[in-house]
Amino acid sequence: MNDAIIEVTGLRKRFGPTLALDGVTFTAPPGKVTGFIGPNGAGKSTTIRVILGLDAPDEGHARVGGHPYRDLRNPLRHVGALVDAAAVQPSRTARNHLLWLARSQTLEAGRVDAVLELVGLAAAARRKAGGFSLGMRQRLGIAAAMLGDPPVVILDEPFNGMDPEGIVWMRKLLRTLAAEGRALLVSSHLMSELQGIADHIVVIGRGKVLAEAGIDELLARAAGEQVLLQTPTPAEAYRVLHRAGGVTTIIDDGALSVSGLAARQVVAALGQSDVVFSEVTTQRPTLEDVYFQLTSGEAEFGTNTVQGAQR
Amino acid sequence: MTTTSTPPLLAGTPERARFTAVLRAEWTKFRTVRGWVIAPIMAAVLCVVFTFLVANGTHTDFCTGTGNCTAGHAFVPTGPKGQAVADSYYTLGGRLTGDGTITTQVTSLTGVISTAPTDVAPSQAQQTRPGVPAWAKAGILLRPSTRQGSAYAAVMVTGGHGDRFQYDYSHDDAGRPGPVSAGSPHWLRLTRTGDTLTGYDSTNGTTWTRTGTAHLTGLPATVYAGLFVTSPVSFQTSASGARTLATATFDHTVIDGSATPSAWHGQSIGAGEQDFYPTLRAGSYHRAGGSLVVSGSGDIAPAVVQGLLGADTASSSLPFGLTVALIVLIVVATMFVTAEYRRGLIRITFAAIPGRHRVLAAKAVVIGAVAFVIAAVAAATAVPLGEHILHANGAYVFPAGALTVVRIVAGAAALAAVTAVAVLAVGTITRKSAAAVAGGIVVFVLPSIIGSISSGGAVQWLYRLTPAAGLSVLQALPRSAQVDYPYTFANGYYPLAPWAGFGVLAAWAALVLGIAAVLLRRRDA
Amino acid sequence: MIEALRAEWTKTRTTGGIAWLLTGAIAVTIAVSAGIAAATHVSPQGGQEDPTKIALTGVYLGQAVVAVFAVLTISEEYGTGMIRVSLAAMPRRLVLLAAKAATTTALALTAGILAVTGCLLVGRLMLPTAGLDPAHGYPLISIGHSPTLRAASGSVCYLVLIALLSLGVATALRDGAPSIAVVLGLLYLPPLLAQAFTDPLRRHIEQIAPMTAGLAIQATTDPHSQPIAPWAGLGVLTAWAAASLLIAALLLRLRDA
Repeated sequence: MNDAIIEVTGLRKRFGPTLALDGVTFTAPPGKVTGFIGPNGAGKSTTIRVILGLDAPDEGHARVGGHPYRDLRNPLRHVGALVDAAAVQPSRTARNHLLWLARSQTLEAGRVDAVLELVGLAAAARRKAGGFSLGMRQRLGIAAAMLGDPPVVILDEPFNGMDPEGIVWMRKLLRTLAAEGRALLVSSHLMSELQGIADHIVVIGRGKVLAEAGIDELLARAAGEQVLLQTPTPAEAYRVLHRAGGVTTIIDDGALSVSGLAARQVVAALGQSDVVFSEVTTQRPTLEDVYFQLTSGEAEFGTNTVQGAQR
Repeated sequence: MTTTSTPPLLAGTPERARFTAVLRAEWTKFRTVRGWVIAPIMAAVLCVVFTFLVANGTHTDFCTGTGNCTAGHAFVPTGPKGQAVADSYYTLGGRLTGDGTITTQVTSLTGVISTAPTDVAPSQAQQTRPGVPAWAKAGILLRPSTRQGSAYAAVMVTGGHGDRFQYDYSHDDAGRPGPVSAGSPHWLRLTRTGDTLTGYDSTNGTTWTRTGTAHLTGLPATVYAGLFVTSPVSFQTSASGARTLATATFDHTVIDGSATPSAWHGQSIGAGEQDFYPTLRAGSYHRAGGSLVVSGSGDIAPAVVQGLLGADTASSSLPFGLTVALIVLIVVATMFVTAEYRRGLIRITFAAIPGRHRVLAAKAVVIGAVAFVIAAVAAATAVPLGEHILHANGAYVFPAGALTVVRIVAGAAALAAVTAVAVLAVGTITRKSAAAVAGGIVVFVLPSIIGSISSGGAVQWLYRLTPAAGLSVLQALPRSAQVDYPYTFANGYYPLAPWAGFGVLAAWAALVLGIAAVLLRRRDA
Repeated sequence: MIEALRAEWTKTRTTGGIAWLLTGAIAVTIAVSAGIAAATHVSPQGGQEDPTKIALTGVYLGQAVVAVFAVLTISEEYGTGMIRVSLAAMPRRLVLLAAKAATTTALALTAGILAVTGCLLVGRLMLPTAGLDPAHGYPLISIGHSPTLRAASGSVCYLVLIALLSLGVATALRDGAPSIAVVLGLLYLPPLLAQAFTDPLRRHIEQIAPMTAGLAIQATTDPHSQPIAPWAGLGVLTAWAAASLLIAALLLRLRDA
């Protein structure tokens, strides 16, 4: 049994009139960064709290390394989590904040200094956490998560409040941790943050998983490459490209978008027909596009990828 | 993984070791917030300072019966074990050398009770009504000397408790029941053999029943022996007590076979103006035919707070300072948990330690231990200090044995510990610091404040049922079955025994702790 | 100032738990009075009782809840960091404090009027069964009786002043837990301290302590049994409240948010 895995099955959770989680099911596999994305209020934090045994689900269960969180002895050695970076006692120093956590897991104080070094807070170790910037608190939270050197790491919005340098550092750290074989679950409401580091994506909206797939698969599912161009004679260009086999759309008076043809083919076809054109660009789908497609047109993906609720 | 090896997932770390880890975590949390460390130390300092101020502000004036008031206090005899005793009576007797026996027949015991309260100076013209207090005593007394507070043994008839054999103020053995009257006189006999004194009673003067035996070690060869009569303050009709006087008739008084020696003389003991015990008159005796008629006022018994005595004790300056310290500790105990809720830190705690009850238990142990140590140090300093200041100000401080002082200090510490734990639970329930502090003060401190500033019968219940009962551990005044006295809170007596009162507080703490534990399990973090 | 008032009013109105706290203050006050009234048994030869004072006993406990309410109106803002938003919106800090004081006064006044009215009704209905009836020389409680009116209106003012005192303390200390401890300590401890002393020191303590001085106004039958004259006592409490607000205003101005 691999320790480095998170399995979430059919979670439902109601807060008063609000159905916060409506059958959330997904898996965060080992050795990968699983991006957990969705708009604010989609249920990301609630799911994470359920995984950490902080909130009790009305239905369903979450397992870490095959076990419910509450059954874990010294849980921080199995799961490290950054839930809320602001959650520190302001008058306690960074080192002491980590020290009590270490004591609770029977870890030696040496681990505290090691993780402080890891997150680059060694110099600020004896400063009161209340005086930390949000970025420093995020680093302190990461340090707390890494304290037990856990096979599973859960980070809720880790990029919040980080400066560009911090974001670069964080992306590198996440890649490194995944490369060590750990399962990482990283939530974010900003797609761009996860582009290039997430291997596996879980999209959540209104308490439901809208999609769960590898990032390549997800990008492939989205509409393919498009070629954009400007032309003074859109009607003629449309006819030429249509004949050449491209699915063409006239965007406005002087702009066309073409799919099904590569930019090279578009240029050739238009050149042969002496159609005047300019500004040919190729547009690849981004995570952002996928996300908007998913959240705006849930029905397209609904039948084959929405999971959970079938228990 | 890379650096440390992951321990077996569900491997059986012993439960105790795991709790120790949680305990260490919570202790680290506590000691790393400077305010939480400073505040309890301040609490201890405040407790000592306020105890000093209260003791220093206490000035006792001693007023004699004639209305002269001076600083200082009345004379209170100290018994053989250092306890405060009443030793006021009228006696007719003399020296007795070596072993011997005194026998007498008591044919009547009557008395009068003053209609004026105790705090009114007695006078010859004072109005009285007939009546004998239940603990009016008349009988035979033997003691090394008539020095007040010295050892003694006596066999006696009483107003309402039958015949008794008593020695050294606190020992009491019952003999034949029933009152004395001309129709049923009681015979009494006291025998000395070495250090052993034995009391007997009889209905006919021929068949004797042993009532009790005392061993007064170190009894000198020549002792004082004789008849005595005394009659204590009666609280039957007046809450402030009324002075009384009893008169007994003794017949057939015989010493070692010979009749009452002519060398015997009457004397009043402990009825002077400086003596604390309220007496109606100095007492007297006269011969009437073959009978000796002896009148006396006072008591030979443990002293309780009554009459001219104030209620200063080893712990009497402590409650205010302790209450101030408790309020500070309540704030710290509350914040120890509510600060985590306020910052969201509780989620990190519960993620690190999913067994939430263990977190609550560890927090309770930490805050309880801190409060215990702080209050113990504060009380151990404040109690002797307060006592010293009171002495220096001329107040009479009821002597408390070392055990009582230890109990007061340990009790104050336990009181603080249990209150802190209870308030921690209140904080866990409310999750808001202001509400928890207010709740903690209202439930665990206010009853005792109300109790100490108000009067009436309801106060007794306050100290029986509410957390204020915990203050019973500070009880320093003795009770005695040999003294009829309203042992009410107004007179300085908590209605419950020290540890029983503490039990009431502990039950309250257990209740809120239970509620907190249930809520902790049910609620999302 | 009007905008500040409206902002504060909206803030207080929408803070969770404030309505509950004020309802709780009213309920606790009336419940304690009712309990005391039910427990009162006057023997015919007993001393002179003061029915109005008995009926208003609940104020002793109700003030604790009012204090919590007043402390929360400011300490919650400091706790959540919202104070920075408030101060950014209203840079004139004294206006902010004044607006808060006005809102607190209005709410404490409303709660106080309801609570005191309830207490008087409870006293009027329950005390006659305890022997405090016209037949024994105790007229029914009525605010037509001027000392009773004084006691009732004074008790309402007392609750308002306690709220303002608490607001000042909480603004100065910023944290809820120590604030409420200071306020309740200030209210409840002096009577206990006074108990340890003899007159005249005891009387002086009772004359300057906020609770004993302020609640002297509740006496209707024998004002001379009180440590201080009715309105003078309320004046002492007013001085306490004013001093606390003054210190709060100074600190608010001088300190960084």
